[in-house]
Formats: sequence, C-alpha cells, structure tokens
Amino acid sequence: MLELIDLRRRFDDVVALDGVSFEVPEGRIVGFVGRNGSGKTTTMRIALGVLHADAGRVLWRGRPVDPVTRRRFGYMPEERGLYPKMRVREQLVYLARLRGTPKGVARSRATQLLEILEVVGDPNDRMETLSLGNQQRVQLAAALVHEPDVLVLDEPFSGLDPVGVDVLAEVLRGQARDRGVPVVFSSHQLELVERLCDEVVLIDRGRIVARGSIRELRAMRARNLWRIEVPAATDGWWEVVPGVSLAARDDGAVVLELDGDADPQRILDLARAEGDVAAFGPVRPSLSELFREVVAE
Amino acid sequence: MSSVPTDRGTWRLVARRDFWVRIRERSFLISTLINIAVISILVLARASSAVGSGPSFDLGSVGSSSIATGASQLGHDAQPPIPIQVHAFPDQAAANAALRDGSVDAVVVDNQLIGFTDIPDVLSSLVQASARNVAVTALLDRHHVPQEERDAANDPTPLTLAVLQPAPPHRSENAAVAFVGVLLLYGQLFGYGIWVASGVIEEKASRVVEMLLSAIRPKQLLLGKIIGIGTLGLAQLIVISSFAIGLAFATNAIDVSSSAFGAAGLVIGWFILGFAFYATLFAAAGSLVTRMEELQNVIVPINLTILVSFFISIGALQDPNGRLQVIASILPTSSALAMPVRIVLGAAPAWQIVVSLVALVGSTVLLVPFAARLYSGAVLRTRGRVRIREAWRAAE
Repeated sequence: MLELIDLRRRFDDVVALDGVSFEVPEGRIVGFVGRNGSGKTTTMRIALGVLHADAGRVLWRGRPVDPVTRRRFGYMPEERGLYPKMRVREQLVYLARLRGTPKGVARSRATQLLEILEVVGDPNDRMETLSLGNQQRVQLAAALVHEPDVLVLDEPFSGLDPVGVDVLAEVLRGQARDRGVPVVFSSHQLELVERLCDEVVLIDRGRIVARGSIRELRAMRARNLWRIEVPAATDGWWEVVPGVSLAARDDGAVVLELDGDADPQRILDLARAEGDVAAFGPVRPSLSELFREVVAE
Repeated sequence: MSSVPTDRGTWRLVARRDFWVRIRERSFLISTLINIAVISILVLARASSAVGSGPSFDLGSVGSSSIATGASQLGHDAQPPIPIQVHAFPDQAAANAALRDGSVDAVVVDNQLIGFTDIPDVLSSLVQASARNVAVTALLDRHHVPQEERDAANDPTPLTLAVLQPAPPHRSENAAVAFVGVLLLYGQLFGYGIWVASGVIEEKASRVVEMLLSAIRPKQLLLGKIIGIGTLGLAQLIVISSFAIGLAFATNAIDVSSSAFGAAGLVIGWFILGFAFYATLFAAAGSLVTRMEELQNVIVPINLTILVSFFISIGALQDPNGRLQVIASILPTSSALAMPVRIVLGAAPAWQIVVSLVALVGSTVLLVPFAARLYSGAVLRTRGRVRIREAWRAAE
C-alpha cells in the first residue's frame, strides 16, 4: 500500500497542500480528481520525491519512501518530456537502467511496450520525429518500462485519442490486476475515472474533500432521487406521501427526492394508480455531479 | 520483483549517455578538426622557422677571394656551423648588381666590406676575423715563421664555458610548447564547460529532467553529466596532443629530448582539475535558466574569469615570475591555466605547485555541494529564470 500522510507544502505565501492524506492499496486503481491548481501535481511530485514536502510522510509497504525504493515507482509527470533527439527505444532502455533494470531486460521490455501501446513508427526513430500522440504513448512506456511496483500518473489520458484511451485503460487495469500494482492517476475526464477506478480521491484547495469508491461517494453525498414518468398523472400526485418532495422536472417526468424513511415502492404503487408508468428508476449522479456538489460546498 | 539495493553508481549511466550522445554529434567532429588544424598551423610555422633559424649567407668577392674563402672556412668551423657561400665577381658593377637583387648579402672588395642596406653582424664579424687572419698570415710569411709554430698559435686550447645562472634548457621550445598547451587548455575548459551548461539547459527545456529526477538524485545527475562531458573533453585533448607531438617530431619543430611529453601530461592533468572546478560552476549556472538564449547571461562571470586567466597565462610566457602571474597560478579561479605554463617554463617552485593544487582541489570539493544544492533547487523550475537565492532556498 502506498500511503500519503498529512502532506503539507507552501510555495511562498500560497498553501498548495494543507494536510493531504490518502492511500492506494495494492492492485487498486485510484482516481485523483480536483480542479486546476487544487494540489494534484504537487501531491504527485512529493510522492515521487521530485519535490519536498514541508511536512508529512510518504510510506510504501509501511516504510518511508527513500530514493532507492522510489526507483521502483513509475511516474508520468504533468510536464511531459523526453530527450527529443534520442532514439525511442534507446531512451526507454536508458530510463529503465537508471532505475536499476538490467540492459537486456530493459531492451526487450521496451520493444514489447512499444507494441502494446501501439506506438507507430520504428523503435530507432528519434523522439522528435513522432507525432504528439505517439510521444505521449512513449512517455507512458517510460513510466512502465522498469516494471514498477507503484504507478503515479499525472494526467495520463490527456492528449490521447479514444483508441489510445482504451489502450491505456487496459494497460492500467492489467498492471493492477495481474501485477498487483497500486495505480493512482489524476484526470479531468471524470467519466473515464468513473469507469476505470476502484476508488476516487477528491482534492480541493489542498485538502482531500472526499474519498472512497464511487458507490460510497454516492451514498455519502448524493440525494435519494427517483425519476418517474406517468403521462396521465395529475400534477402533485406524490404530495400525499410524507417525506417526498419535488426535486426537478425533466422532459415530462418528475424527479422526486425521498427522505431516509420514504419507500420508493410506495411511490411506484401510487404512480400506477395514476396511470401507465412509462419510466421509473433511481437517478445516479455522475462523478461530475458529485464533484461539483462537493466542490461547491 | 527485482529489488535494487543501491542507487550509487547511477552517475555512470548518466556519464556514459552524455559521452556517447556527444561524441556522435557533428559539433564534436568539427571542433576536433578545427583544433587539429590550428595546432598543425602552429607546429608547421615553428618547424619552418626552425629550419631557417640557423643563419646562412652569400658573400661576394671582387679580385682576391682569400678573405671571403677564409670567412667561409671560419663559418664552417663555427659551432653551430654558419654556412657561407662565396661568389666571385669580375668587377664592382657586377657585385653591386648582385647586392641589389639580393643574391648576395655583402661583397668583399679589397679591404672594404660592402652591404646593400646593412650587413648582418654575424657575417661582418666573420669577415673581419678572416681579414685579420689574412693580414697575420702575410706577416708570418714575411718573417718565415715555421709551420709548427703557426699551427701552435692558430690552435689555442678553447676556453672552457661556464655561466653563473644557467637558463632552463630548451627555453624557447618550452615556451612554444607552453603556448600551445595553454591554448588547448583554454579551448577545452571553455568549450566543454559550455557544453555542460547547455546540457543542463537542454534537459530542463525538454522537461525530461523531471523524469530523470524521479529516478535518480540530483547529485548523481550532476556528477554524471560533468564526468561524461569531461571524459569526452579529456579524450579529445589526448587525441589532439598526441597529434601535435607526433607532428612536431615528424617536422623537427621540437627536439625529442624536450619536455613536450611532460607538458602534455601537465596539460591533461590540469585540464581534469580545472574542468572539475569550472564545470561545476557552469552546471549550476545552466540550471538557473530554461532557454539556450538565456545561457549567455548567466555564464558571463565564468566566461570572464576564464578569459582573464587565459590572458594572464599568455603573459606568463614572457614573464613567468611576475607578481600577477604567480598569484594567478595559485588562485583556484585561474590556476588551471596559469600554473601549467609556469611549470613548463620551469618557473614554479614546488611549494607554489603544491599550494595551487591544494587550493584548486579543495575549492572544487567545497564547491560541489554548493552547486549541487543550487542545481537541485533550480532545475525543476522550468518557468523563466531562477534567482540564486530562490534556488538555494528551494532545496534542502
């Protein structure tokens, strides 16, 4: 398990991190979500040791992370960049060797990754001759080439086409499932986070404002909403049930908010007494809605 | 899962990359060729002046040629020999014509020695001596002095030579070697120092530095870069000096017994020490900026230091024991250039060499942690120029 414990960091007068704590269990994919400038990149840089925290600790398997254990981490920085004039495979081999992978292993692993990530072009091409999308894939290969024990990826999906997104999602799933790697990545593509992640950590203004599985977040945050469409019903038919109120009207349907005690089945019975029920179901807020709700507080 | 026990020695990978990437660059090839061309010109210039350096003369004579042939004989016997070619002319007019077109240096006419605009001192002393000999011989003939007495008088035991303060042997050769050496040192220290700074900026500008620093420590990256580029500079220096020495021997520009090998060794040794010192500064300076265009601004103080040291060292060729030269050869900011010159010229006493070495090595050792801290504080700040104070405080 990768644990971040009470990380604090100031840049001059700006408090970037104000006690950030969360953990990434082995084999789990954690999405790290927050607005621009909320502290995601600072947190990840501290986890990778390229930035110092003013206070707080980073633990891997219960022990403080030092430069030697950090070599087993895989990182994709927000500021992308590799040597523009270096050949693609040579570059990957170099980065893997810096992290202690033997040359031969690094070489075959690099070749394999370029195939898996569907990088178009020759492994002996210079980096600068590749398209941006391909450079992005090579950057991912650079995070993976040493078979890391931990993956920390800052906006890995930005700049990828839909096919690239699917390829990367599959690679991350594979790393977590097959090798038990804890994966944490930041993203603004919330549908993707919802689809891919076991857990989500929401950060706002340097503080963690919510964390848990999507289901937990919904339970914690979302209102109990049901959408019902009964074309023949008279308006206000639900008012006889205690603890039920109108939340919204939506294209001929109504969205009702139920208090804790109110029974959805009772609402359904009532609705059928009014006429044919065209639609009936719970309204699951998307991660974006949850996020907006949390951040708005 | 392979666990890696230590990250010590990752600087070797960095050094190897920096070495091999640059050795394949066109600019490396070009700088090697330019260096070899410059050295060749210097060596060949000295070789041609060395051949022409022993004076030789053409001496004309009108009428009796005994003074002229006598002078030629004296020149032949001199140590080193001074070749004098004698040309006989039927009359003064023919001799004057030869003087004017420069085919003779002077003409003996009766008891006159005539030049065109002037007469070389060496030639005139030989001719005067010959004239005295002719006069003395004529006198001895008149007095019928027996041959054995003449021989005894003509062959006195030569004087034994001695000097109070002998000049170092091969002085002029050593000065030439020192000049080439300091020129090479200046080029290498400066050129490869800039390469270190631009290598740092290149990694910053391409943002690859964040990937690197997530894998290795700033000190390892800094050390690897300096050693890798320094090794390349050293290799080039060895190639160029070997070429220069080979060419110098082949063309007789210098004598095999001279100190050329020692001087080459000195230049190489001081390059290593001087490079460690300057490159550390160059690397720290490079980490403060993000774009190549800004490089010049931050390295001005280092450039000036090296340039001033270079000029002082050139001055040391003339005056190796001048006060400025002595001080410059001891201060670590200039000793890498000034001290080898004074050593080659035989002007530096052992204690000064030791003090200079200790100062240079010691200050480099003190400088490295300072530069490494600036480097680690500044190298991740990829927006605009970083102030030294900011960089210092950003790292801990």
